[in-house]
Amino acid sequence: MRNSLGLLLAIGLAGLQFVAVLAVVFSSYVTSERALLDHARSLLSDVGTNTIAHSTGFLRPARAAAELSARLAQTDVIASDRPELLEKLLFQQLQLAPQFAGLFYGSEGGDFVYVMRSDGPGPFRSKFIRVQDGVRSTELIWRNDAFEVVERRMDPEDTYDPRVRPWYQRARDQRTTIWTDPYIFFTSQQPGITLASPVMSGVDGIRGIVGVDIEISDISDFLAQLEIGSHGKALIIHDNGDVIAHPNKDLLKTTDEDGTLRFANIRTFDDPIAQAAFSQLTQDGKVPVARETLSQFEYNGETYVSVVMPVMSEKLPWTIAAYAPENDFTSEIKLNRRMNIWIAALVAATTGLAGLALAQFIYKPVRAFAVRSALISQGELDPEEPLPKTYQELENANAMLMEQIAARRETELEYGQTFALSSRGMAQVAPESGQFIRVNDRFCEITGYSPSELLGMTFTDICYREEAPFLLLDGQHGAETSEINHEMRCRRKDGETIWTAVNAIMIHNQEGKALHVVLTLDDITLTKRKEEKISQLNKDLSNLSRDNTMGQMAAGLAHELNQPLTAIAQNADTALLMIKGVPEADPELRQVLDEIEEQSLRAGEIIRALRAFIRKDEGTRTDFDFVELLDQTKRLVIAEAHEVGAEIATELGHLPQANANRVQVAQVLVNLLRNAIEAVAENPGKDRLVTVHARQRGPQILVCVTDNGPGVDPDLTLFTQFETTKPGGMGLGLSICRAIVQENGGQLWHEPAETGGARFCFTLDASADA
Amino acid sequence: MSDTDAVVFIVDDDKDIRTSLTRALRTRGFTVQTFDSAQAFLDAYDGEQPGCVVLDFGMPMMSGLDLQEHLNAKRCPLAIIFITGHGGVPESVLAMKAGAVDFLEKPFRQAVLVDLVETALDLSREKYEARERSRGIKLRFDRLTAREEEIVARMISNPAEVSSKEIGNYLGISPRTVDHHRARILEKLEVSSVVELIDLASKLKEATPGDSPNR
Repeated sequence: MRNSLGLLLAIGLAGLQFVAVLAVVFSSYVTSERALLDHARSLLSDVGTNTIAHSTGFLRPARAAAELSARLAQTDVIASDRPELLEKLLFQQLQLAPQFAGLFYGSEGGDFVYVMRSDGPGPFRSKFIRVQDGVRSTELIWRNDAFEVVERRMDPEDTYDPRVRPWYQRARDQRTTIWTDPYIFFTSQQPGITLASPVMSGVDGIRGIVGVDIEISDISDFLAQLEIGSHGKALIIHDNGDVIAHPNKDLLKTTDEDGTLRFANIRTFDDPIAQAAFSQLTQDGKVPVARETLSQFEYNGETYVSVVMPVMSEKLPWTIAAYAPENDFTSEIKLNRRMNIWIAALVAATTGLAGLALAQFIYKPVRAFAVRSALISQGELDPEEPLPKTYQELENANAMLMEQIAARRETELEYGQTFALSSRGMAQVAPESGQFIRVNDRFCEITGYSPSELLGMTFTDICYREEAPFLLLDGQHGAETSEINHEMRCRRKDGETIWTAVNAIMIHNQEGKALHVVLTLDDITLTKRKEEKISQLNKDLSNLSRDNTMGQMAAGLAHELNQPLTAIAQNADTALLMIKGVPEADPELRQVLDEIEEQSLRAGEIIRALRAFIRKDEGTRTDFDFVELLDQTKRLVIAEAHEVGAEIATELGHLPQANANRVQVAQVLVNLLRNAIEAVAENPGKDRLVTVHARQRGPQILVCVTDNGPGVDPDLTLFTQFETTKPGGMGLGLSICRAIVQENGGQLWHEPAETGGARFCFTLDASADA
Repeated sequence: MSDTDAVVFIVDDDKDIRTSLTRALRTRGFTVQTFDSAQAFLDAYDGEQPGCVVLDFGMPMMSGLDLQEHLNAKRCPLAIIFITGHGGVPESVLAMKAGAVDFLEKPFRQAVLVDLVETALDLSREKYEARERSRGIKLRFDRLTAREEEIVARMISNPAEVSSKEIGNYLGISPRTVDHHRARILEKLEVSSVVELIDLASKLKEATPGDSPNR
């Protein structure tokens, strides 16, 4: 089944449109999704980077301050014996950076100066520990922003010794600036870290340690200010798993069983999303991230993206981690995308419908053309009807089609007329059922049925079943025998059996499918009967030849013998008479002559008896049509005539019926014709013509066979048996012919023809009824 | 035993037959002429010579029967004996009907033939004489005038009323004139009475063409 143009157009215009829109939507869906995720990740990455930068920037002044203080102390600017000066220096440093919680200096001797922000009587508080001669004193001084003393008092209870503190010991041991792990400051109860830098004395000696306390809750404030989507959060995890910065500072601190404050670990952190995202980072005790890692995870059925930044530095082994729900970035776009899909669907539907409408519009003239063609082919519409408005191509096609239809109609008309007017019986037969589809008048005439009777019938109904064409007409065989020529008997409607020549041709279309069988029927009954008659005559003749040649020979012999016998008898009797008057004649001579006469007469008697006997076997004489017999006889020798290029012409007058033994006359004719043909065969390059004349002469029919051959040798005695010019002949032909003709009451003789050839004539009795 | 004026004509296409028959008949004193075909005989025969024809029945071209027909038509003073090599009953019947003396099948005894020839010659002579006689009578009748012929015809057709008066009434003339004619008629016809006249007329009628030439 071929696709229809309408379907193709609909698919092409609507379907392809739809597919194209879908493809665009799908592509944008995929790419936007990926872009969104990339965007989210880069956003998170930026957050990490920003946080790192911020944190580094936040801590940098501390380092600078600590190192400056250490350098000053080193160059004796700050002498431990002049703590007031050191206090002022530290005070100035503290004022510079708001993130500084305090600055301090501890000496090897146990002296300690500490300037810090305070909630007490003044905004700043200085603490002095002095050790002189093993006696230590601790003084607390509160100052305002202008470094003026607000309050001063001693603290005898104080037991603080800087030299046992971890920051002091690590800095002294490592002889370099160190950062402590973050911890919760005792005084402010705020998270922070301490930076400690050794003050060297000489090459290897340690004079003391300068330190800076930095509160890092500011980092949490900074994180809280960061906008990571609507619900994203960033946090800083120390490499031991402590969460040291989080937008919600309250979550950072946790109280131990002994009442000390410490950082909450990420594994127990009270931000469940962060815990889910990052807890596994610290499973080995260290955050192993060496580079920026982006990942995606699910929590509570929602998708999150996360980023983990590499640690900031060896001294600050902090990892910035950030997470955000994916929806924060994609929701808008997803919404947009849903809208896009709706729009796309709408567009696809609209364009599809438009495509269908367009297809319909384009297809309409084509369908109209197709319908028109179908109507024309069914003969319900005149091809001359004007074509409705349509395409140029279809108009061209229509023009060609109309030409074809016209040509085909003409052919069909011609064929139909040929079919109808044919002098031969013609029929079309359905290949499967074998039923007649169409018959012409002649077919009806031959079979004796009317057309309407025949149309319901099959060929088997009018013919004898065993005949070959039925194999073809029943369609029970392959296409190898698509034509059959056959002579067969048929039954006419009136019951008469006729001989027909049937030609059946199977007509196939280009695909090899059988369309119908064209049957041509000729009534050959007359020809057949004629042939049968001739063949019967031939048979009779050969029978006659075989059975009667001896008889004929005997008859001819009898006739020919009678002549000399007569002469002998007469001569003997005459001789007797002659010696009657001769007295001295031997009486025995008389007896001899007597016996000769008697014996010749006896021979005559024997011949008569023989002839009487032969005559019994002769056929009877009947009336017959000589012209018909001549025609049949001619056909028996026509092959011999053609062989030597001889022509047999007949010149016939009006003839009555002949009365004779038909077969015998045929034999005479065959003999004479053969002789004539053999005679003209000797003609070198002349026309070889044998003419048969026949006309009525009185109560007889005169028949002459004339040839233009060399004629009969005058020395030859014709009609004498055993005398012949033919190398293989017995010389019986003509004598037998003459005997036959005579026995049928006629004569047979030879006369020279005007042409120089021979002419043999014989007569036959005409019928008494004629 | 035979007259020299009568001739035996032998017509046969077989030379041996002609020779032997000629010899046999000549030895017996007959005058014999031979012909090898019917046509040759017809060409030579003058139609007046009485004689016997020994005729072969089956000859080519013109058969014995054909010749017989010709001769009968000419009222020739001939008698025919057919001889045949294969005599058949139908043929012989035809020949005999046409007035043949006999139909002999070959071979035959000479004595039989000689008897037949003599019979035939007698017949021929009779025919000849009858023809000559009728010719003489005809000559006599030819002498009559138209009126005399009229009177004779009346006498012949109505032999019961031959008186002069009756004829005169019939012809519308006087009995005396009839008497006068009657004397002239008897004189011209060389008869002495009306009875003789009627007899003579019947003889002439017998020999007039159109009548059967039966024996």
